[in-house]
Amino acid sequence: MTGMGTDLFERRVVISGVGQSAIGRQLDRSGFQLTIDAILAAVADAGLTVDDIDGLAMFPGGGKANLPGYANGNLYEIQDALRVTTTWRQGIIEGMCLPFYGPAMAVATGQARHVVVWRTVKEGSAARNAGGRPAYGSTNSAAEGPLAWLLPVGALSPVCQLAPYTTRYMHEYGVTREQLAWIPVTQRAHAALNPDAVYRSPLTVDDYLASRMISSPICLYDCDVPADGATAIVVSAAETAADLRAPVGVEAMAGVVDGRPSWEQWEDMGRVGYATAAAMWARTDLRPADVDVAEIYDGFTIEAVWWLEAMGFCGPGEAGAFVEGGKRISLGGELPLNTWGGQLSGGRLHAAFGHTAEAVRQLRGEAGDRQVAGARVAAVTSVGGYEAGAALLTSWPR
Amino acid sequence: MTATPTAPVGIPPAVTEETAPFWEAAAAGRLLVERCVRCEAESFPPYGMCRACRGRDVEHVEITGPGHVYSFTVNYQRWMPGLEVPYALVLVEFAGHPGVRVFGRLRGCPPQEARIGMAVEVGFEPGPGGYAVPSFIAVAAESAVPAEGAAGAERAA
Ligand SMILES: [Zn+2]
Repeated sequence: MTGMGTDLFERRVVISGVGQSAIGRQLDRSGFQLTIDAILAAVADAGLTVDDIDGLAMFPGGGKANLPGYANGNLYEIQDALRVTTTWRQGIIEGMCLPFYGPAMAVATGQARHVVVWRTVKEGSAARNAGGRPAYGSTNSAAEGPLAWLLPVGALSPVCQLAPYTTRYMHEYGVTREQLAWIPVTQRAHAALNPDAVYRSPLTVDDYLASRMISSPICLYDCDVPADGATAIVVSAAETAADLRAPVGVEAMAGVVDGRPSWEQWEDMGRVGYATAAAMWARTDLRPADVDVAEIYDGFTIEAVWWLEAMGFCGPGEAGAFVEGGKRISLGGELPLNTWGGQLSGGRLHAAFGHTAEAVRQLRGEAGDRQVAGARVAAVTSVGGYEAGAALLTSWPR
Repeated sequence: MTATPTAPVGIPPAVTEETAPFWEAAAAGRLLVERCVRCEAESFPPYGMCRACRGRDVEHVEITGPGHVYSFTVNYQRWMPGLEVPYALVLVEFAGHPGVRVFGRLRGCPPQEARIGMAVEVGFEPGPGGYAVPSFIAVAAESAVPAEGAAGAERAA
């Protein structure tokens, strides 16, 4: 039995549509146009029209940006262009991390029936314009808030902030780079089957080990790919399912921050995401073995490691052995991992927007050459640690 | 060496009411953290509030070394034009100061010799915008504490 009863708010909603713009390393179109492309595609994918939409949300809110190219598709301008009347809106930067969490709360409580949430990045173009991946916080002249303890000492990128987690994890569990390489290598093989992925050419463990170090032990292929592209997701009331083209169920979701909400102050850098995963599993009868496909966050390789362990797909410290050789996490394996290539090869669409879009496609059987046969349960997770979200999505009807 | 030593490349801190005492002490080479007047717990970074008992009456106390490295990275990427690389960044904790972990540079050894558990002394170096930033100094290898020997690190050196 579930500990929470059957009246979970997330069971009152479905994900009805996903849509994406073109996705690429650099695209010569504005973030605004990419946003509109994705929203119109997602609404059509849901079987709805723009006039059905009564809620809008975007990540990040308020146009807040710490990185060049980070925030696009301003909520006010998008609403004005689409000519939509809203009964609910939200900008999400801090929060529940999963793109559909806030919209699901709004729909489940009757504040809106069909909410569109979007995330648009132009970080690929921004990196090109900066002559390389730019420093975090370089949109401001001084490092404010938590960045004051990171940027001035030279931790100028999320890479430098995540690297000590990787160092500590490898130290505690004896996991090697040769093992971890299989995450980006296997995901690249998946990306080869995804025409929208940014990088699709084969990658080997030798390529990984020979690649340049960015901030040790994180090498080039441990980092997600700055990209240009927009993803939109439509969250609808489950009672409208009959009007929808191909909805997907939300079985359970949670986001728990149980440590210090700070990259450098997080207490135990070898263990991240466990409280979120435990809270999520407490809301469902499904177990890790029931998951058919894992679209788990991979801003860096180590983040996928966190979620493999925290979600219980393997034990603490076992992710290296779990992924080694790639068989378990391949399309035909027991836990196909980031079947679109993930952010490591598919592009840094960020905040689990790309992961959610892929999960929906897999559960509908619409994932083309990379389809996992008979996928009925998908795990989706976002970031980890100081902000974290985890969910199970299911094919519809349940 | 092409960069001017007196003008390090980087992004300076925005100094606030809460953080001004830290940065002022840093300029004098001293590492300050907040200590609760009521329960004596130490907190970092400074919030003007005790993270243990939520008391608002805090004073500033100096932490002296050595500390030990909880984790680290060696950065090779030139994130900004003119940034000198590589350099090691270390997360340093101090035995007997459970609320305190400080991110900083590492000097006194090649960056590639950074190790978890290594002993470091407190130090600062010129940073961006004229601010002094934490820059820990590697303690000679023969006096370093074992990797898991955090307790008693102050005595070991
Ligand atoms: Zn106190």
